[in-house]
Amino acid sequence: MKTYSTTETVDAVIIGTGAGGAPLLARLAKAGLSVVALEAGKHWNPARDFATDEKAQEKLFWNDERLSAGNDPLPFGSNNSGTGVGGSTLHYTAYTPRAQPDDFQLHTDFGVGVDWPIGFDQIEPYYEEVEQFLGVSGPSAYPWGPSRKRSYALGPLPVNGAGQLMERGCKAVGIKTSPAANAALSAGYYQEGVGHRHACTNRGFCQAGCNIGAKASMDVTYLPLAVHFGAEIRPECFVTQLVKSASGTISEVVYVHNGQEVRQRCRYVFLCAGTIETARLLLLNGLANSSGQVGRNVMAHPGLQIWGEFDEDVRPYKGIPGALISEDTHRPKQADFAGGYLLQSIGVMPVTYMTQMARGRGLWGQELKRAALAYNHVAGINILGDCLPHDHNYLELSDENDIRGLPKPRIYFTNGENEKRMTAHADKIMRDIWTAAGARNIWAFQRNAHVIGTCRMGNDPETAVVNANGQSFDIPNLYISDNSTFPSALSVNPALTIMAVALRTADKFLSNAGRNPQSAL
Amino acid sequence: MTHYPPNTVRDLLKTDQVTDATRQVLTERLDAPSHPPTFFTVQECDLLQAICRRLIPQDDHTELVDIAGNIDERLSQQKSDGWRYDVMPADGDAYKLGLKAIDESALIRFGQPFRSLSTEQQDILLGAVQKNEAPGQIWQQLPADRFFEELLTEAAENYYSHPLAQEEIGYVGMADVPGWQRIGLNQLEDREPTL
Repeated sequence: MKTYSTTETVDAVIIGTGAGGAPLLARLAKAGLSVVALEAGKHWNPARDFATDEKAQEKLFWNDERLSAGNDPLPFGSNNSGTGVGGSTLHYTAYTPRAQPDDFQLHTDFGVGVDWPIGFDQIEPYYEEVEQFLGVSGPSAYPWGPSRKRSYALGPLPVNGAGQLMERGCKAVGIKTSPAANAALSAGYYQEGVGHRHACTNRGFCQAGCNIGAKASMDVTYLPLAVHFGAEIRPECFVTQLVKSASGTISEVVYVHNGQEVRQRCRYVFLCAGTIETARLLLLNGLANSSGQVGRNVMAHPGLQIWGEFDEDVRPYKGIPGALISEDTHRPKQADFAGGYLLQSIGVMPVTYMTQMARGRGLWGQELKRAALAYNHVAGINILGDCLPHDHNYLELSDENDIRGLPKPRIYFTNGENEKRMTAHADKIMRDIWTAAGARNIWAFQRNAHVIGTCRMGNDPETAVVNANGQSFDIPNLYISDNSTFPSALSVNPALTIMAVALRTADKFLSNAGRNPQSAL
Repeated sequence: MTHYPPNTVRDLLKTDQVTDATRQVLTERLDAPSHPPTFFTVQECDLLQAICRRLIPQDDHTELVDIAGNIDERLSQQKSDGWRYDVMPADGDAYKLGLKAIDESALIRFGQPFRSLSTEQQDILLGAVQKNEAPGQIWQQLPADRFFEELLTEAAENYYSHPLAQEEIGYVGMADVPGWQRIGLNQLEDREPTL
């Protein structure tokens, strides 16, 4: 790996190496820029360091404490966070549906929420590029959304027990299903600059780290590509400060490495630390917030899960967790809410399932022990639905410090009327599907997944933090590329869209200023 | 439903169907010794253990998991799971306060501290805590239902992370070196004993 000295001024510092930072890092490096990525977490060697054990893999989560407030407090740690070279893609499910064109114009269609300043047409080429590069596995004909210009890189992954049950239940109630698009390889895959990656072995442990490189986390895809093109990645570097020069631009990034404060001079900064840490860093530094919108518009997908027990042996630990999808509920007819949701089958690791039964069902004592014995016969189905931005959902800095001595973020989240109606609609449909599939002891686990928002992208500097290219309205050499800039939550898992928008941000930057960064300042 | 045959998981751990990384963490957990408490007092830890025995009964075999000891260890190391309900005090304070509150409730309701109650009385009391209906002043400072939820979740996480508790529910997902080819309904590999 090429390295840069802290005494030189690099073209760009990228903060965070997840879905927002990694593709952008690779793009800038390929264009010949001197780029350094700072990552708070460690650089793991999955083959050596990742155990097939949920508790041991807690090391992949952002475990600095966050405060969860509001009527529906958001859990963090295992959900909605990540750390390590690769960010939360180290433990994402790698479910990669594209958003549909109408997802980007919720306000136009329903008069609520906001439209994106860019549309599907501008993101579509990047969807295609990311899918091909990652080696997304998917069906030859995907039943929903605009027809694809290019088929998925690989055929679909095999459908596990939970997927078969969802297929059976959906067929009975008249809902169309398809094998899902997933960024785990259904066959070996080779990419220039990355090398050969192994096909998925159906290990079922995607949400606690893939140890064979079959799942397209950033550490086995865009980050090796970035290093191939000359980027430097510095792990265990926690950024505390963005130093503003007299001219109003960021001149230096300050971070802590092994207890020592280090300074890196740079011409541009790309903040890619995710919804929570991106907003927290800006608030800590009092930057880029003339709109007052930093930290506002926190959104999280309604993610209701319905579980049931079946006569069949399901063994929910085998195969990719989300094998099957339906988007028949993308815009349900006669719905009493705006937007819509997708349905997916879910397998589950044992500790996750047991703790959900404890937290969600409140089972304890012999009741919990008995319910646990049904583990090999359980399967789930869940939704991911759009979430509107509400004034009452936001992030602030608390007056309580974490172990690094920095204020803990406090995140307020309460589902609004739209999310409640959508969840009620989905609850009924999923119970119908599971009943038709033959489930007993059906129970619901209420949740919101994928925290989104806090640094909204838009055309108006009064109401948005960054423009459509991800550039701060206040600080011209500061860009943001992660889920914090999403103006609306979309009704799909966010990772693919984060990567696609990251590549677009990089291209816009390169065509506007980046070809000759020194003269641009 | 019956359990896997005894030693299913221990035997699997000896094979090359388990990675070195997995074998190491699971073996450490199987052999983990109990420690004297360093965060809690001995009395607090005994009370926590008595509560955990009702939440996750382990009477069908010698106690597999020292749940109270593991919680003590986590709090000693100031480890967090990444978030906390804003209505709750810091984890360590919440545990100390919650334990005090449970004994206060036991005294008000049954005239004796929690550990002196019958198991039926203990369960009635814990049920009241879960429903936010337990008596006592201390619960004014600590939402009983959230305290119960957090304690129960941490107890369940500790118990079901143990390889023998996983054997109890018929889980052999740790033996994944060969991968899984038979993943559909009613499809089992040889290393997945039928229940």
